[in-house]
Amino acid sequence: MSLFHFEFRKLLLNKKTVSLLACLFILYSLMGFVTSLFLIGSGKSYRAYEELAAGYEGTIDEGKAVWAKKIYEEISARYGTDSRMIARSIKDQPETMLAIKYNEFTERVDEYWNGTPPESAEEPYGIALIASKLAELEMQGKQNTFAYTKLSDSLKRLTALGEPEFANILLWENLFVNWGEHMMQFLLFIPLTFIIAPVFAVERATGMDHLILSSRSGRRKIVTAKLLSILAASVTVTLIYVAATFIFGFLPHASLHGWNAAIQSIPTYARSMFGFQTWQLAVAGAVWILFTGAVYSLIIGFISSRMKSQMGTVGVSLAILFINVGLAAMGDTVTQRLQPLIDFGLANVTLIKEVFGGFKMFHVFGMCVSYPVMAVFVLGLTAVLAGFGIYRGQKNRTVA
Amino acid sequence: MELQFEDIAKSYKDKKVLKGISVTMGTGVYGLLGPNGAGKTTMIRIMADVLRPDKGRILYNGRDIHDVGDEYRAKIGYLPQDVSFYNDFTGRDYLEYSAALKGMEKAYAKKRIEELAYSVGLQDDLKRHCSAYSGGMQRRLGIAQALLDNPEILILDEPTSGLDPFERIKFRNIISAYSKDRLVLLSTHIVSDVEQIAAQIMMMEYGVIHHVYSSGEYVKMMAGKVWLVEMPAEELVEYQKQAVISNVAAKEGLMEVRVIAKSRPAASAVQAAPNLEDAYLYIFNFRGQ
Repeated sequence: MSLFHFEFRKLLLNKKTVSLLACLFILYSLMGFVTSLFLIGSGKSYRAYEELAAGYEGTIDEGKAVWAKKIYEEISARYGTDSRMIARSIKDQPETMLAIKYNEFTERVDEYWNGTPPESAEEPYGIALIASKLAELEMQGKQNTFAYTKLSDSLKRLTALGEPEFANILLWENLFVNWGEHMMQFLLFIPLTFIIAPVFAVERATGMDHLILSSRSGRRKIVTAKLLSILAASVTVTLIYVAATFIFGFLPHASLHGWNAAIQSIPTYARSMFGFQTWQLAVAGAVWILFTGAVYSLIIGFISSRMKSQMGTVGVSLAILFINVGLAAMGDTVTQRLQPLIDFGLANVTLIKEVFGGFKMFHVFGMCVSYPVMAVFVLGLTAVLAGFGIYRGQKNRTVA
Repeated sequence: MELQFEDIAKSYKDKKVLKGISVTMGTGVYGLLGPNGAGKTTMIRIMADVLRPDKGRILYNGRDIHDVGDEYRAKIGYLPQDVSFYNDFTGRDYLEYSAALKGMEKAYAKKRIEELAYSVGLQDDLKRHCSAYSGGMQRRLGIAQALLDNPEILILDEPTSGLDPFERIKFRNIISAYSKDRLVLLSTHIVSDVEQIAAQIMMMEYGVIHHVYSSGEYVKMMAGKVWLVEMPAEELVEYQKQAVISNVAAKEGLMEVRVIAKSRPAASAVQAAPNLEDAYLYIFNFRGQ
């Protein structure tokens, strides 16, 4: 067997970790299954919803919008305006559910044309608002500024995407919640931390450092083998997460309906400037989670190469993860001051809704760079630095 | 082939563990003898390139081992003081992993594993998990690991600890047969381990190598310094407080005491033929006197 096979075996293909992977698979499957079941009362209710929704798909219909608003007002009078509370209360009533979803859709259409209120601190969104902001900048002679280029680009994309259309994307919406919320970071990244942490630290703990560091391949080739095993382990665990939540998210209702709908049909992605269909976002999302998981794993690998114990590595890695999540959850005054740290910190950059759900642009050396491209660059650079640090560390490592 | 230590020094915090070691080794078996804490393991670790000295360098055929790098490490076989394993590895896994670390070709590695498993008597145990091995078996597995790639330089730190007398003899025979055209450094505090097989023996204490002689030269150095004194058992307790005693044997109601002394320790004392153990005791008890 090659060094990679041994390293992969030490990291993943051993009894303890395989048992952990089996438990994770069950956990992720349950998560997919349960969240899917809780969306709507039963398979029968979902079928009814699917049939009803089929008659509503497409561009906005004013008559249906009025009907939906009326039902929404009745429901909110009864249960309040909290969308989760409403969703829980009506999950056995397909028609009411459809009305609520359609009402949300009409609000998105309105936002598409009229946008966020001018006094809002959010990024400008909506055809009319962006057009007025552009006119304002033109009046001030700021056509050559980054702000103008960015808004102009946003307007072009928004126009090209067209007005949102209604689609039944209930199960896809659930999938993207499972893939794109902080819950994913805890359920995926915490196990990853425990799995990757021993990669270098175990050699110190067991005393195998003596054998490794005194061998021909113990300073360079083993690092390559360990890096490959980190990536392979990370990909394996992430694939289990992605596959289990996907399969068991769709299985209870045995439907992939909405696979070809525009992602703007999904409330969280309504402001996305990417012209993806839901299946394309699913592919991009899966690749993104794999990529960010691999980068996070390399960071853990770097920490492991500098620590004397496995638990120390776990502690530092989780501290980094939690600090990132904590910072991202801070109020606007903090997040605005630490914007680059928040944008490219693990909390935001690992979430597909943050990366693909909006249209964030960065001004880099006179160029307008989109968030995903910038994130790939920053994460790629982080991965390269982590790899370089690991190689350098192993070259100078001693048993003392 | 020549390995030259040039003024190697190493400290841990304020404690100087090696104090400017300078020694040159060629082919053959070298014994490194010294009491616990003498600095043997530190010297061995620096030689195995798993520890860096604070000062000085080691030259392999005239080149600094750090410049030689992988090429130097490819030539060494190293058995550390404590052999470690991964719990879920079998003996074969451990040897195959070692072979992969040494960059050995698969077919050659397989052949060597079979040969060495037989040599160290583990041929029937390779399928068992290392964690289930006895201390002696783990040691033998470690020896097989060190010999795997026919290293030009073999570094053994306390190789016989945990081995029974039969295994020790077998080990000595393996090393003797192996040492032709190679450098073997064997660190131990057990004199008999090196007495018969080491061409040169280094006596080390407090981070300094005091002597580098052959076993015969040490014995010659001890001529006239080893005595046999007979005394009643009740006198022995008091006597051993003031004398360096290398052995005590009961003989016809009296105790025959083997004493190391520069001059006749008692009127009745008779001279005895010295051995390496006497030299060891002499060097570490009379140093500086």
